[in-house]
Amino acid sequence: MKKLITIGLLITTMYSAEHIIDQKNKHYVPNNITVAVGDTLVFKNSDSFAHNAYTDDEKNEFDFGMQAPGKDKRVEIKEKSDFVIECAIHPNMSLQVHVK
Amino acid sequence: MKTLLFIILISNILFASEKNTNIGEEIYNTTCISCHGIDGKSNTGMKLSVKPRILANSILSQKQIKMIVAKGAHEFGAYSDIMPNFSYIYKDAQIESVSKYVYNKFVAPRETKIKAMYDNSDIKNVTLKRGKKIFKRNCALCHGITGNGKSEYVEMSIQNKQFIYPYDLRKILLNKKQIFLFAKYGGLEWGTHENIMPSWKKKYNDSDLMSVAKYIDEVIKDKK
Repeated sequence: MKKLITIGLLITTMYSAEHIIDQKNKHYVPNNITVAVGDTLVFKNSDSFAHNAYTDDEKNEFDFGMQAPGKDKRVEIKEKSDFVIECAIHPNMSLQVHVK
Repeated sequence: MKTLLFIILISNILFASEKNTNIGEEIYNTTCISCHGIDGKSNTGMKLSVKPRILANSILSQKQIKMIVAKGAHEFGAYSDIMPNFSYIYKDAQIESVSKYVYNKFVAPRETKIKAMYDNSDIKNVTLKRGKKIFKRNCALCHGITGNGKSEYVEMSIQNKQFIYPYDLRKILLNKKQIFLFAKYGGLEWGTHENIMPSWKKKYNDSDLMSVAKYIDEVIKDKK
């Protein structure tokens, strides 16, 4: 049974992808992305000030809190959904996420 | 006789008013002008750590202007005291005069536009509950959960030499309508030099923004 779980985890890890999202000049780059369940979004911060990415999507809810310049934050996609990630400080930042 | 008295009375009012304005203009041109400029746009070339408010874009009433001139901006929530307390230099009547001059020169010509910006808003359901939720989600990240202008974001900005100093909302003079207009259109619209206090009109509707204004006005602001 343990072997089966380990193999399952290995397969998930092998097939899940990482997607880099940069936060630059108060914009998400890219600002629209299609991902799969199990994928990870890696948020970089190329601005010289902090950001605070979050979503209120019920299936994939998260809130990074303050993300300092130069630091990365990661979040795994849990369920199929279409949702928006925003910055709580900079209202023009909006990232559309489509989970296939 | 009645006509003569009426003419004398009107003349006194007119001359007093003119004299008052002239004193205000004189004070502006000898004191305020060095930071705020002749046109109120603060393009004076002075290198200050905090750029003076662009008076030509001000939203303040004459009474609010007088309070700031008399007591300094720090008293009313500004982090910096670069806009000083002028009651040490000028008498109340002089401060009244310069406030009247600033209001008439810079704000009064825009009153119709400011009123239209408010009147054209679509405000329906305003609740403290909604205002509190938005305040905690967005405003508190800069202004702090109590509105005192202290937050993790401000600390980080100092560490990264960005030096963001949000207003202490507990002390602000703005009324509910003015807070609403500030939140809707952002600081640039009302005379700040940088887009640090953003416009929230794309994210929230007018009812949401008035709910935040209500929360700040009724819960965050110190009761005086």
